[in-house]
Amino acid sequence: MAPGSSTGLLRHPTLAGDRPPETTSERLVLALRDVAKTYPNGRAALRDVNLTVPEGDFVFLVGPSGAGKTTLIKLLIRDELATAGQVLLDGQDLGRLPRRQVPRVRRKVGIVFQDYKLLPRKSVWENVAFALEVTGTPGRRIGPAVDRVLRLVGLAAQARQLPTQLSGGEQQRTAIARALVHDPRLIIADEPTGNLDPLISWEIIQLLLRINEMGTTVLMATHNAEVVTALRKRVVGLEDGRVVRDEVGGAYHRED
Amino acid sequence: MLTFVVFSVRRAWQGFWRNSLMSLAATATMILMLLLLAGFWIIQTGLNAGLQFIEQKVEVVADLNDNAPADQLLQVETTLRGMPQVASVTFVSKDQALQDFRARLKARGQEDLTGYLDTNPLPNTLEIKLKNPQDYGNVVDYLDGQPTVVSQVTPIQNLVNQVVTVTNFLRTVGVVVLILVGLTVLFIIVNTIRLAVFARAEEIEIMRLVGASDAFIRWPFIFEGAMVGLFGALITLVVLAVVATPLQEFMYGFFRVLPLQFGTLVVRDLTLLVVGAGVGLGVLGSYVSVRSYLIR
Ligand SMILES: Nc1ncnc2c1ncn2[C@@H]1O[C@H](COP(=O)(O)OP(=O)(O)O)[C@@H](O)[C@H]1O
Ligand SMILES: [Mg+2]
Repeated sequence: MAPGSSTGLLRHPTLAGDRPPETTSERLVLALRDVAKTYPNGRAALRDVNLTVPEGDFVFLVGPSGAGKTTLIKLLIRDELATAGQVLLDGQDLGRLPRRQVPRVRRKVGIVFQDYKLLPRKSVWENVAFALEVTGTPGRRIGPAVDRVLRLVGLAAQARQLPTQLSGGEQQRTAIARALVHDPRLIIADEPTGNLDPLISWEIIQLLLRINEMGTTVLMATHNAEVVTALRKRVVGLEDGRVVRDEVGGAYHRED
Repeated sequence: MLTFVVFSVRRAWQGFWRNSLMSLAATATMILMLLLLAGFWIIQTGLNAGLQFIEQKVEVVADLNDNAPADQLLQVETTLRGMPQVASVTFVSKDQALQDFRARLKARGQEDLTGYLDTNPLPNTLEIKLKNPQDYGNVVDYLDGQPTVVSQVTPIQNLVNQVVTVTNFLRTVGVVVLILVGLTVLFIIVNTIRLAVFARAEEIEIMRLVGASDAFIRWPFIFEGAMVGLFGALITLVVLAVVATPLQEFMYGFFRVLPLQFGTLVVRDLTLLVVGAGVGLGVLGSYVSVRSYLIR
């Protein structure tokens, strides 16, 4: 593990003010407690992060470039380990998770990136089916599941096309379909509209909102001020590795 | 489990053909390396066979008394055949020895003067071949203890020591060269496969992100490595079969003294070597290459 700079005992007062309640009747999909992440090169990307996300929430993660949004997401899928504090995903402490169990826990999360990360030589259908194949889903269950999510994201007609034959928005919808096909508890999107023009961005956001209405928790890191301000959802602001605000119904910029 | 095996083999097959350029490069490297390995192995085997033949030329020769009693002579021969160090015992009569001597003179084109002799000066002899040329001690001791039958044992100590020193040296050189070639081949193949896997790092990353277990990531690559190895080995064997006849002529010409069954032995061992090394190195290369993407 990377050398930790924080002991986790020394707590700074959180700028966000109130801590979210420790016990709720709601089920928490995510809970971060006093999380810090220092990269091996000594760069402290996150400090004293406390954050809980109950089932069914829709959360925007905002903040300038370099604030630590991507780092936070990497901790949530255990691509990186926190240097201090606890990261709980669906009640499981990722820091104590044996390596062998990481793949199983990752299937609870569907992840979407700015650059789509599609396999260029596989068709839309194959890209989505891939996520099921490589996790050992029996073949007879793959077909119906892929068809279902492709209908959901509106790509049933493009199923046989290659990613290079699709627009950016269609590629991102393919990536969302792939993230959804496992029926995850949580969808995490890291700047999913970063490469898309405003109109297409709205389409992607609306798709994520619809997925959220169907019961899946969504956490989305974004730079898109217009969208965040318009939707008045929960907004978690990161700055320099710290949570600087956490408001329900917030705008992109702080409104004091 | 069956799903898993079917999945892995199918993905290996797809992986091989969809990345045909990389697969081709890896297979071509595999073929070149296997040819190199096979070439050195053939040389090494020929060298060993030649050295063994030379060592077998070393034999203990016992000159016999002309008037040795037949039953005692038989007794000596039986005892020798029963000794564990002895490979074969041949009785050469004095008439036979004279004929051989004349034949050798004639072959060299020298004048045969033996016709002027009124008696045959050559003794009857026993030629004793040893399994290991260095094990002459007991045999010579035994022969020295039979004065009624044996008149004289040719001293062979110096000859044996010289021959064995030279052959052992050549054997060691052969083994060292073969090991060096083997290591080079290992290094080059593993690195070629590492490049091929590197070209697909994104695919591996996606597999990890969607929650594929290590086994699902690793095994298709291992099967693919085995496929590269097997294809490479088969093509290598075809190439070797094409050059087999001229090569064999060369080998017999070069080493002169190869035993007759040499050809078939080489074919069997060489097939095992090429297929084993190809598949083994392909699997090893894939294993270590994928491993670096899994450990976290
Ligand atoms: N692998 C890494 N090693 C070292 N520093 C890193 C690494 N990844 C990110 N960082 C640093 O951590 C900080 C937060 O980065 P990141 O989480 O990518 O921010 P954001 O996604 O909000 O732009 C930045 O200063 C970045 O340079
Ligand atoms: Mg980022």
